[in-house]
Amino acid sequence: MEKLIELKEVKTSFFTHLGEVQAVRGVSYSLNKGEALGIVGESGSGKSITSMSIMGLLQYPGTVKSGEIIFKGEDLLKKNKKEMRSIRGNEIAMIFQDPMTSLNPVYTVGDQIMEAIRKHQNVSKSEARKKAIEMLTLVGIPDPEKRIDAYPHEFSGGMRQRVMIAIALSCEPDLLIADEPSTALDVTIQAQILDLMKELKNKLNTSIILITHDLGVVADVCSRVLVMYGGLIMEEGKVEDIFYNPKHPYTVGLLKSIPKIESKERLVPIDGTPPDLLNPPKGCPFAARCEHAMNICMEEQPEFFHCGEGHRSMCWLLHPDSPKVELKGGVR
Amino acid sequence: MDNKNNNDTLIEVKNLKKYFSKNTGFFKKKMKHLKAVDDISFHIKKGETFGLVGESGCGKSTTGRTIIRLYDVTGGDIIYDGKNISHLKSKELEPYRRKIQMIFQDPYASLNTRMTVGDIIGEPLDIHNLAKGETRQKRIYELLDTVGLSKEHASRYPHEFSGGQRQRIGIARALAVEPEFIICDEPISALDVSIQAQVVNMLDDLQKKLGLTYLFIAHDLSMVKHISDRIGVLYLGKMVEIAESDILYEKPIHPYTKALLSSIPIPDPELNAKVDREILEGDVPSPLNPPSGCRFRTRCKYAEAICSKKEPLLEEIAPERFVACHFSKEFYEGTKK
Repeated sequence: MEKLIELKEVKTSFFTHLGEVQAVRGVSYSLNKGEALGIVGESGSGKSITSMSIMGLLQYPGTVKSGEIIFKGEDLLKKNKKEMRSIRGNEIAMIFQDPMTSLNPVYTVGDQIMEAIRKHQNVSKSEARKKAIEMLTLVGIPDPEKRIDAYPHEFSGGMRQRVMIAIALSCEPDLLIADEPSTALDVTIQAQILDLMKELKNKLNTSIILITHDLGVVADVCSRVLVMYGGLIMEEGKVEDIFYNPKHPYTVGLLKSIPKIESKERLVPIDGTPPDLLNPPKGCPFAARCEHAMNICMEEQPEFFHCGEGHRSMCWLLHPDSPKVELKGGVR
Repeated sequence: MDNKNNNDTLIEVKNLKKYFSKNTGFFKKKMKHLKAVDDISFHIKKGETFGLVGESGCGKSTTGRTIIRLYDVTGGDIIYDGKNISHLKSKELEPYRRKIQMIFQDPYASLNTRMTVGDIIGEPLDIHNLAKGETRQKRIYELLDTVGLSKEHASRYPHEFSGGQRQRIGIARALAVEPEFIICDEPISALDVSIQAQVVNMLDDLQKKLGLTYLFIAHDLSMVKHISDRIGVLYLGKMVEIAESDILYEKPIHPYTKALLSSIPIPDPELNAKVDREILEGDVPSPLNPPSGCRFRTRCKYAEAICSKKEPLLEEIAPERFVACHFSKEFYEGTKK
């Protein structure tokens, strides 16, 4: 399979008046064409900032400190603003969490879809309009010929998110980054949106990076998962690896803290709170909350250990010299 | 419901209505009623957790706020421990304000940023004249300890705490007046997954220790199922189904409950792939202009002519099992699929 995008040791920091907040502290991963990758983690784990770094949408005082983001063979971090503008929205598109605020209230929905099309494609207004209607039909908006002239406030939350998806997909991007696309929606509407994303992925062969904190959503849509914590990747694997055979205590903790539908077992929360990235811990970021933490975990950041094809985990427990601890935490 | 003389019942809600009026039309001359909660009835037993679920705008938070009388009741009765509190004036209501407390959704907005944590927790003690001076201070420390915070936290301000810790402060404040009944309005939806479990476990422990009764309002169905003994499902201000939580999940009867449950993404990839998802079409209709008859009929694939003409009533089709659907019997017996 062909690699579409590859991140190499990306580090992103925010230089605030309190000091440097190291939001992303060295993240490397790659994504193949037509693949759906889920990134899970708690707030502040760096999952959104990683994607903002890809999009070049970081705002002052945030900057990518080092690393490479290779998209189709070229480093996005070396592109200037103008070059990024032609990639953004055209080759890489993004959907945001809040459909209520990410549309411009004073333009019709059609204007906003056509804007994206006309910015990147050399087409006439009427052609763009035709294409916009096509996109609205694709994302399942009833009566698109009429609805194209409606304003965002005339749409419900789920419908607005569909419009956002229509804008994002209007230029047939190779990569779609969806940052919590269904978090602000009700479950029945969430099911509609997730279904639509799966369908469009198959139809258009778009690669998707889905950022979420909901493990259920990941299990539904993605084939591969990254678990992030404290600005680092803790574990990466196929969904089956992560859900049935997790190799990192944090992944195990996450899986244990969600209720199971079939039983009323007491939940096992992860005690404590996430690390402060203003002064990130020197060792493993999870060590302070980890029940298996050893001395080395506090002292030195672990490396990645290979645990099977495409499955890696950043945990000292997997080192051949460490005591054997069996992590019981798969959902099965 | 025939629990009127049952001593176990702590709170009974009968035909509760809460309408908000809205001026519409040219020059806003027309008055329209937004029927946020429209004729719902349920009861909660002592020591029980009753879950209330539904999508946004279904009236679940309004129900909670009306029960605690943050809103005035438009119609119907709220009977707390044998006494009708639905129309009490504020002075008469005071003892009930002590017995019924509330935990709010947003731990960032529900704490006064200019008060120390100690004062936030101590305020209800002052209002109800429960403790002064040293006993007040002792009680505050005790409460902080109950929710897993320490003494030192009393002199700090809310901004120094994380979301989970703030929610703990909110819980300590609610516990200060030794309530019997706590309304939890989406207490965990603003928190991270690993922190949610901490708060849910704490609510569970407190219930066992202090014999509390909860009304747990949420849209996260798997969490509601986990914490509740019985669950009520709301749709557009109407109760559509009430059942014990295990039974509701095993065998939902109302088509809306079925769709709602099958929409939950399951955190298990293989199971997820197997599930035959029933995806509802369309959106929730506007509560200003709800459909005639059964309010769910516009999105219901089983809808027939009768559904638009007659409103289905909430009926007990099996013990402790209430459903409001014209075809509830058929669904229950499995003759209609």
